[in-house]
This record gives sequence, C-alpha cells and structure tokens, in this order.
Amino acid sequence: MWRDACAVALAELPEMTPARLNRLLADMPPDVAWEALATGDLVNSIEVNSKKLADALGRWRAIANRVEPLQKMERYAEREISVWHRYGLYLDRLKDDEHAPAVLFAQGDANALAAPTVAIIGTRQCSPEGRSVAKVFGAELAEAGVSVVSGLALGIDGAAHAGALESAFGALPIGVVGCGLDVPYPKRHTKLWEELKGHGLLISESPLGTRPEPWRFPARNRIIAGLADLVLVIESHEAGGSLLTVNEAADRGVPIMAVPGSIWNPACKGSNRLIADGAPPACSTQDVLDFLALELSYALPSSPGTAREAHWTEIPEADQVVLDAVGFSSTSTDEILLKTCLPLGEVAVALARLESLGLVIREEGWWFRVQATGGG
Amino acid sequence: MLAAVPSSTVLGVDGYSVVVEIHTSDGLPGCAIVGLPDAACREARDRVRSALLSSGIPFPQQRITINLAPSNVRKTGSAFDLAIAVGLLVTSGKVRPDAVEDFGFIGELGLDGSVRAVDGIVPLVNAVRARSVVVPASLVHQAAVCGNDIRGVATLADLVDILNGDGSWIRPEHIALREPLNEPDLIDVRGQPMARWALEVAAAGGHNLLMTGPPGSGKTMLARRLPALLPDLDEQTAAVATRVHSAAGLLTSERPLVWRPPFRDPHHTSTRQAIVGGGSQSIRPGEASLAHGGVLFLDEMAEFPRQVLDTLRQPLESGELVIARAYATARLPARFLLIGAMNPCPCGEGMAPGQCRCSDVTRNRYLSRLSGPLLDRFDVRVNVMRPRPDAFFELADSEPSHRVAERVAVARDRALQRNVRCNADLAPAELDRYAPLSRVASSLLRKQMRYGLLSGRGFHRIVRVALTLSDLRKPDAPIDAEIEEEDVCAALELRPEKQFVEMVS
Repeated sequence: MWRDACAVALAELPEMTPARLNRLLADMPPDVAWEALATGDLVNSIEVNSKKLADALGRWRAIANRVEPLQKMERYAEREISVWHRYGLYLDRLKDDEHAPAVLFAQGDANALAAPTVAIIGTRQCSPEGRSVAKVFGAELAEAGVSVVSGLALGIDGAAHAGALESAFGALPIGVVGCGLDVPYPKRHTKLWEELKGHGLLISESPLGTRPEPWRFPARNRIIAGLADLVLVIESHEAGGSLLTVNEAADRGVPIMAVPGSIWNPACKGSNRLIADGAPPACSTQDVLDFLALELSYALPSSPGTAREAHWTEIPEADQVVLDAVGFSSTSTDEILLKTCLPLGEVAVALARLESLGLVIREEGWWFRVQATGGG
Repeated sequence: MLAAVPSSTVLGVDGYSVVVEIHTSDGLPGCAIVGLPDAACREARDRVRSALLSSGIPFPQQRITINLAPSNVRKTGSAFDLAIAVGLLVTSGKVRPDAVEDFGFIGELGLDGSVRAVDGIVPLVNAVRARSVVVPASLVHQAAVCGNDIRGVATLADLVDILNGDGSWIRPEHIALREPLNEPDLIDVRGQPMARWALEVAAAGGHNLLMTGPPGSGKTMLARRLPALLPDLDEQTAAVATRVHSAAGLLTSERPLVWRPPFRDPHHTSTRQAIVGGGSQSIRPGEASLAHGGVLFLDEMAEFPRQVLDTLRQPLESGELVIARAYATARLPARFLLIGAMNPCPCGEGMAPGQCRCSDVTRNRYLSRLSGPLLDRFDVRVNVMRPRPDAFFELADSEPSHRVAERVAVARDRALQRNVRCNADLAPAELDRYAPLSRVASSLLRKQMRYGLLSGRGFHRIVRVALTLSDLRKPDAPIDAEIEEEDVCAALELRPEKQFVEMVS
C-alpha cells in the first residue's frame, strides 16, 4: 500500500514524464525512490545527464519533503483505481515490453485482460460506413469473447467501443486513454467513459487530473499495441495517427489486419495501403477470429450492417430500381435521383420501404445497401 | 403676401404631404426657413436665389419667411426647391396665383435654373395633395407609374413661361412598363436534382430555403435562379415594391416599375442599417425592404453578425419592419422569401465522408452562430454537393425555368384558393383542414415522432412542405385532398432537422 502510494506520488510530480518515471523506477521500487528523492540521494543513484532533469530533481526534492503519499493515494482509493507497477501488481502482457510504462492506473474490471484482445483503431475523421463497420466488428468480437481495446477517440475508436458495449454478455472492452481517468476526452465520449468503467476496464498512464496534452496520445498508443493480441485497422488516412500504433505493434511482433475500403474514400487510403504492404484483409469478424484461431461460439449474421434481420421478400419492381441505385458505399439521395430519373416522392417512398425491410441503411444522411442473409 | 404650395417629403418609404408656405413683408431683407428643415432644406434658400437670378428673375428684396408645414415633422432633402421658387414667384407677382391652383411641385433646383431629379419620386408624388404634380422632366416616366396627372418641366424659366401661358408641359409618353428582364435560367444547372426540387418547392409554397454545401457546389448559382420561377408581382405588391425602390433611388426612366420579384443579395459585411433600414436623417429602406415581394439571399449566412440575423426575425414573422426613432416611427414593408447558403463547417468539407479537418470545437462554434429561432424559419433544407467531374459532362439538360414556373404558378393558385398568399403562411389549424394525412402518411410521421426524430413544430413544417409537394404533383386534385405518403417522404428528405442534427452531433 505504501509502495503504491509512493508510486502515485511520484507519478503526480509536476513535470514528470513517462520517460523520467521509468528512469527513477528502473532500479529501485517506488518507496525507496521517494525517500531517496526527499533526502536528495537520488541524484547519486541515477544518471543525470541534462540540466533540466537536475533542476526538476531539485524541485521534486522540495515537494517530496512536503507531500504525504498516503494522502495522495486517498483519491485513488475512493474511486477504486488500481495502481500497477513492476514492484507490485503488473500486467503480464506488458512485463517484457521495453517501453512499458512504469506506472499504470486502471479503473474497472481487471478480468477484461484475461480474454484474448483485439485492438480496433482508425481515423477520427471516418466515413459513416467506417463508423458502422467499426461498431459491428466491436459488437461481434465482444460476443465472441474477445476484449476490444481502443483509445476512445472520436470516429473509429469510439464506434468500436460503442459496439462492444452493446453486447450484453460479451467480453469486457478495454479503453486506454492519454489523460487522467477523471478527465473524459473528448467531451462527447463522456458517457462512453462512464460505461467503460462500469462494464469494462479503463487504463491510463497519467495520474488523475492530467489534461489531454497532444503528446500523450502517441504515447498511449504504445500501450494499446502492447496489450493487443492483434491490431485491426478499420479506416486510416494516408498519414494517419493509427499508422503510428501499427508501427508500435509491428515492433512488438503483434499481427496487424486491415479492413479493405472503397478506393474513392480518402479515409481508406492508409488502411488499403497496409493491405497492399502485406497485412491480411479483414472482410468479416470471422476472418479476425480465424487469425486468432478462435471459433465463433454461435452463428452470426454474415456481414456488417445488419442491425436487423434482412428478409429477402418479394419487392416490387419500382423499389428494385431504387435498390439497385443504392451502392454498398455511401450514396447520396442526389445520386439515386440521377440514376433512376424518378421523381423525388417515388424515390423517397421506395427508400422508406426498403429501409423498413432492412435492405438499405441511412447513416448521417448517406444511404447504403446491406447484404441480405443468404438463402431467405 | 402669402402663398401656399403643395409638396411632400419622404419618411421611410411613404410620402408625407407638406405645404410650403411663403410669407413676404417689408422689413430688413432676409430669408428664413422654418418647420424643422434639415441641412439640405435650409440650403434651398441659396439654391433658389441663384436659380431665380440665372433665369432672369429678380430675387425679392423683402423679409421672407418660408414655413414647411406641418412644422413638427422633420423635413429632409432638396425636393422643396421647386415649391419654394414657385411660392416666391407668386408672392412677387411674377406668376398669377390661379395659374398654380391645384398643382403640386417637386424638384431640386440647380444654380443655373435647371430642375433636377430627386430620390423617392414615387412616394413623393403619391403624397402630394394636389390634382396635378409638376416634377423634373427626367422623372416623368417614373412618377407616372402611380397614375397621377404628371407634368414635367426642365428649367425654371420654362416653368415661368408655361405658367404664364406660353409653352407646354413635358408629358409622360406611353412606354412599355414590363420589359422582359434577363433573369438567370434554371437550365444552366447540371445535375443537382435535390437542389432543383428544393428550389421548385420553395418557389411554389413560399418556403424559406437553406442550402448547405462546400464552396463551389453551386449554391449561389441556384439561389439566383429562384426569382425566375416566381410569378409576376400582383398589382398591390408591385406598387409597394416600386415605392420602396424609388425611395432608395434605384428606379430609372427605362425601368420605372418593379413588376418582377426583386433579388437582393447583401454581402455579409453589410451593416445592420444597410440590411434592415434606418439612418439618422430620413429612414431609408434596407435590403430586406428592397427584397419585398421577392427574394433575400444571404450567402455565407454564418458570417453575418448575429444581431443582423436576429433583426430579420420580425420581417420573417410579420412581413414588415418597424423602425422607431425619437421623432417618428416608420413601417417599412419587408415580405420576402429567405434563401440562406452556408458551408457545413469552417473548412467547408464537412459533408463529404471522412474529409472534414475541423476540430469539434471549431465546427460547433461555427454552427452555433445561427440561432435556433432563425434556423426554425427554414422550412426546406438541402445539401448541395459538388458535382463529380464525369457527371458534369454526362448529364442531360435540366428543365428550363419557364416550365418549372408554370407548375409553380399552378401551385400558388391553389394556395390562393386556401385564402393565403402561399402555403408557408398556413397556420396549424388551417393545415388540419386543408392538409389531412392519409393513413400511411400519418403512421410514417407518428413513427418519426416516436423515435424523437421529429418535434411538434417540425411536424407542421413537414405537413406544409408535403402540401406544396402535393400541389405540384397533383394540380387537379381538390384543394383539401389527402396528403399521401409520397409527399410526406419527399418532405422528410427536404427537412431541416435531422440532417442538421447529424452534422452537429
């Protein structure tokens, strides 16, 4: 307990960075480090090769003499936040990782880490389809007993977790964030954060109250890569941030798969390039599970996009014309009107009927077609 | 000696009858103008003096008092020059009083004695209390539009001669008032079927239209083509519009009458007064009034200052603008169809999937510039996308404006039969009467409401637009025929709420 408290106190020092924390805790446990800091002996035990660090050590010494670690620990105990470090409880998965964080804070159910994990990552500026695909993969993987790991960012990350949380008895999802566990970022995902804490696991390298500074995000990506058994990229722009996570994964020997996307969609350029460079394409959840050598425990609908059962009933010819005009990738009502040359009223009614049959879906003002379950 | 000459002044877009009283007496020569004249009115003294002298008429060396009655109303402008000169001519005996009986006079005088044009001749002439009105020769055609007896005169010297029986008035000739204008045609638009539908519906039902789209998608081009779809102005509206344009000084002799719906597109840097009207001297009409009977187009609507946009709520509600000043209140007519164009977000690419580079904060801040109550005024909303290059070349020609205008005219006629100017003016109670929903249509809307996708006000909006669509589709049905699901579904495609909510969330 004392050790954990010292770990918290060290992490909460101003100007503390993951790299510095690693240096401090490389050869000594947190309680020893704390005391050494207070007495000033620390300067002798670790290599100080920059003036900045030397100055920081000086300031920290003053703080170490004022602050009481157990007091700092209270906040964490209240919220039932676990503190993990190498000298206490630590994640098996990250034990051998070179760049593993020295201290991790986690809120939620640690059992989430017991299941196989798949990291779902992608761009923040995704297309409506990408969002839909992420949600379905998230949901189906969770149903199959796989913990979905992601960064809770806008776009793909958020959608994947939204999907994973939808499945009532599925595996618990894991979220890794770059700021304090009490600073939901982005604001829009506040509800998602809370849900993840209740049904899943939320992990952060930063102590409570840390604001989401830009440099913390690439840093947390290495944790995502470290925790994953497989990294799945759903949509990425050509120079997207998700590619950095892919690099971290490659460095650690974690397999990478990508979902192929429309060649017209700029958000798929990066992910398509990954496939061209050798990443196996993930065209369905089963592909991912096969790669992980898992079997689905029950039959799933065969393709993304079916939130409802699609019944292949007889549809009138007029509706068929409209259905044919809707593509499998985002189609606007304008395009449908141009292709069918029908008046707006007829097209609108046909789309409404097709939507109620589950043959087309409307997402963010764009239409797209859904594959029906084979065989009727 | 006393003389009284009818004339008028303009307040807002309405004329105000003024009687110019001249009183001359013995005493130290001097000339005073009373009756709350503004600077231009006061300067009349010097102009009239020089004009008289240039015309070979001596200026009376007496004590002269000129009163612009009623004395408690502010007088503005130089239109009294002529009336003052005539008054002096009468008091000094150069012209017989009965020669000017029942004549009103409006005009500015040049130092050389020429009679010059003034702004606002139409409301001025309307307000003069006299059987015939004498105006500057260059304005005879504009003044004649209102049907009064108009006489024109070019110089002061000519006027004196005519009043003394020598010479004749310049009369307005019969000119073609309704010369066809060069309004842009819808046939120029390639593709964009939803936008063309939206234009047709907006024109047919008088529904305010909001277009959202990236730069270069053609929003401005589409907006300019709306007036051509609207029918000619009816007599009353044409008269009001002509008065407004005259007060703003926009009419010409070649185009003295406003008979087609005007199109006004103020830039977003315009001041509030430029848009709404006002001014410290006379209350001049703004863009909103100049658009009366026609279209007010706000391009880049999010760039307009919020207070400017908010002041438009009154005219959108009541069709007029009430400008109150300490000394007077003017009611300016301002009944127009509002078209707004905006980008979906600051970078402009927010609608193409995966393209927008704006952060949440900037996007929300941009969209929140438009207040809820203003957005509420738009019945029809449409996303306008950039045409794909290959589509641009492949597409067949669109319909020409006149064909669409025919359908629009029929639809507007049906609205008149419902005792409103256009469907957009129908109140909810009247909607229930004239737009009953079919069973399928009703259940579709109920489902939308159940899923929280449609509010109560949204519901009425959809029904109004569906009614217009129904008028366009089935022009021969009875005016209170049931609204069918085709029209409701089409109206849902054109609706404001959900798309916008999707963009923001």
